Amino acid sequence: MTQSTFEARLAQAREASARLREAIGTVIVGQNAVVDQVLWGLIAGGHVLLEGAPGLGKTLLVRTLASSLELKFSRIQFTPDLMPSDVTGTNVLVMDATGGATGRFELHRGPIFGQVILADEINRATPKTQSALLEAMQEHAVTIAGTRHALDQPFFVLATENPIEMEGTYPLPEAQLDRFLLKVMVPNPSEDEMTAILARTTGHEVEAPKSVLHRDDVLALRALCRDIAVAEPVLRYAARFIAASAPESATAPEIVKRGLRYGAGVRGGQSLVLASKALALLEGRAQVAFTDIQRVAPPVLRHRMIRSFEGEADGLTTDQVIEELVRSVPTRPGPVEQAVQGSR
Amino acid sequence: MSPAETEHGRFRGLFQRWARQVRLRITARWALSGLAVGLALAGVAAAALWWQRMGSLRPLAAALGLVGALVALLIAARRRLSDTDVALYLDARLDAKEAISTALELGESEARAVVISDATSALDKGDPKRARPRVLAWLHGLAPAGAGAVVYLSLIPLPPAPAPPPPPPGSALVQIANLQGLEKIERLEKLDARDAEQKERLKQIAEEAKRLREQLAKGMEKREAQSKIAKLRDDVAAERLKLGDQKNRAGLEAAVGKLAENKSTKDAAKALGDGDLVEFDKKMQELANKAEKADREAAKQALKEAEKAAREKGAKELAKALEEQQKLFEKREAKAEALRELAKGMKGKLSEEALKDLEEFGQSGSPEAQKRLAESLEKALQGMSEEERKRLAERLQKQMEQQGGMNPMTKEQIDDLSKRLGTPEGQKALEEQLKELAKPDPSEESQREQGLGDAEKGGAEAERGLGGMPVPMEGSGTPGPGDKGDKGDKPGQKGNQGDKGDGSGGPGSKKDYGTGDHKGNTAKLDGKSLRSKAGTKINPGAPMQGSTLGRAPSRPGETANQAGSGALGQAGPSELGGVEGSEVPEEYREQVGRYFQP
Repeated sequence: MTQSTFEARLAQAREASARLREAIGTVIVGQNAVVDQVLWGLIAGGHVLLEGAPGLGKTLLVRTLASSLELKFSRIQFTPDLMPSDVTGTNVLVMDATGGATGRFELHRGPIFGQVILADEINRATPKTQSALLEAMQEHAVTIAGTRHALDQPFFVLATENPIEMEGTYPLPEAQLDRFLLKVMVPNPSEDEMTAILARTTGHEVEAPKSVLHRDDVLALRALCRDIAVAEPVLRYAARFIAASAPESATAPEIVKRGLRYGAGVRGGQSLVLASKALALLEGRAQVAFTDIQRVAPPVLRHRMIRSFEGEADGLTTDQVIEELVRSVPTRPGPVEQAVQGSR
Repeated sequence: MSPAETEHGRFRGLFQRWARQVRLRITARWALSGLAVGLALAGVAAAALWWQRMGSLRPLAAALGLVGALVALLIAARRRLSDTDVALYLDARLDAKEAISTALELGESEARAVVISDATSALDKGDPKRARPRVLAWLHGLAPAGAGAVVYLSLIPLPPAPAPPPPPPGSALVQIANLQGLEKIERLEKLDARDAEQKERLKQIAEEAKRLREQLAKGMEKREAQSKIAKLRDDVAAERLKLGDQKNRAGLEAAVGKLAENKSTKDAAKALGDGDLVEFDKKMQELANKAEKADREAAKQALKEAEKAAREKGAKELAKALEEQQKLFEKREAKAEALRELAKGMKGKLSEEALKDLEEFGQSGSPEAQKRLAESLEKALQGMSEEERKRLAERLQKQMEQQGGMNPMTKEQIDDLSKRLGTPEGQKALEEQLKELAKPDPSEESQREQGLGDAEKGGAEAERGLGGMPVPMEGSGTPGPGDKGDKGDKPGQKGNQGDKGDGSGGPGSKKDYGTGDHKGNTAKLDGKSLRSKAGTKINPGAPMQGSTLGRAPSRPGETANQAGSGALGQAGPSELGGVEGSEVPEEYREQVGRYFQP
């Protein structure tokens, strides 16, 4: 591919992402950081877990995104009595016109057979049902009655979690949380945003946005994301960052040693680089910078670290740990950093 | 060449230019830092050299600055930034979002062309002033400060020289024209020696003393002079007769024992036991002077037995001295007898005082009484008429006939004297003879000891003259302060220890006959620390606990503090007599057998 071709693809990607942001912006007020992070997940080919209080527009965001993408949208409301087959689908006996059994079984596809899946309040379903979804997320395929069914691409799951009303919920185990590329915290809107929301949602109903990206566009974006270059020093920085998050590591800062039981693993490192590539792509760059790693670190790593008892007792959050890692893990080798600092 | 390759070449060219500039400036910064640190150290070194008064070396301290710069250059070479490091530096300074680092290492890739384009653009548009490393740092301020310090310290005068250390004790020069005391050592040359070898040794000691006197007159180190005097004293001490040494000890004890058996020679025995031959000689002189013949005979007998005992015990030198004393005793006895007879012949002409002296001479036999008596006789002789002198001569002649003649006046001499007494020449001859009789007649050994003792005292005097503290020695003390006591009948043995009120000897004196009451005391001697303490009260205490290791009947296996079980007593038939049968050397067998005896 020539420079012009790659440059053109980059330009197209920039333009596509701008269109997508604009379309979402017609419905969603503010939450730009959340929208950006959801787009990182979409472009990097990962799944996103949204966590926020009720009424912050999580579901609306997902619905708007699905509308903008012209992709098949499914919503699964997770409840304690939801069964795995309710998610994946099942084989049912086909009846003839007289009501008698024909002896044939026919597959009734569940909501997982969509392209943009909203797994609403995922922590309210039993682990068995959760695992049915998580298997599909990992494998991009489901197995029903012994038959494996591939899911349509792109397959993008956006799950939501409610941090309040934790009674009767089934928190996702760490191993399953690891399947999500990003965990996005949905913040409360600012005063201006709230004003705009109130104005927009209390009048006539807003129309859903038109689709601005098609299936092929999304797949092209994902392919381009993989082509984004990463220099070895940047990869080494990502590796140092992940290593420093392990409490047993010699390079771990004190807050990690004291507040964490487990750090991020290899999958965390892969996610870090992938999300950084997506960020670089969205910003129209062909290479990843140190700052990209630092910016994507909170949503990528916050659900991959397990706090120690001491950390929990101290009220330490994984975001605080990541903040400290960004501060303490050196980006460049010592002599280079000295030269940079000495020239300021 | 494709456009992509052209772009890549352009990027490499730009990058190399930037890299050279970055590396050069970083190296310059290192060199300046090294120079600054080196010059700061040079300033410190120059200050140290100034303080140590090494004036000529001060400017050389500036070389430390060059050394610092060289060391810094070496460090800079070792830490030279690689291309990747330079690219990272430029990414950071040009805010290129790691485009330069990525472009530098990126191989065949979809994004390569775009990344290189971005990197080239960043390098092309980068502001060199903003991006290049700073050469100067606050640390470099030390360079002019250090250089200034070196220059200043090189120009200012050196501090005054510290006072030289005091010379080692005794190294001071002394110059004494005539050191008192040395003359006593020099007199050893004329002393009657025991033999030719001793004569030679005494001569050498005297010559050494003379040389020392001459050197002191010219000036010499005090410690050397002190050392020579100490050697002279040692040499003199070595010449004294040592009756108490291992060779003479048994003989001395035997001789003293024999003398002590006789009441009249008890004091002489004590003097001999003390090794004081001068005192011993004096005691023997007193005994020889005594009027009672029985006393003299007993003394002679004791002396003979003592000589025999000393000879038997192998103390040849002591036996020789006692033998000489026997001969001398008889001579002294004759002299005393002659004096007494002369006094008897002149009895009517003697004054009351002379009669007292005669009585005392007969009782104590002291040399002082002998002298006084001879002087009284001389006076009396001058007051005699011609007739009286003639009668005296006849009497003397008669007496000689009775006694069979003896020294120092032979029968012929007295006969001749009696004939000549009528003439003035004869009278003068008798006066001379009387003077001769009044003279003390010490033994050779006593004279020698006296001379050596004087020489030792002279050595001590010389030491004092040099300002040293002489080692106390027997007989070198000065009289004590007491002056009211009775006449002492015993010489002081140790300085100021006479606490019975009958002597007044100074420190170590044996020759002092002071009349003090011994209530005085020696002035306190200043000392830096406590040297000794005597008379401490010792509280009686219980005996120390412990086990007693003694021989007592016990059972086999028993020790002093453990009861025996008797198990060892049950020996098998083959074990009995094992000690006797074992390979124990003959000389130990009996001892070992006794040890294992149950």
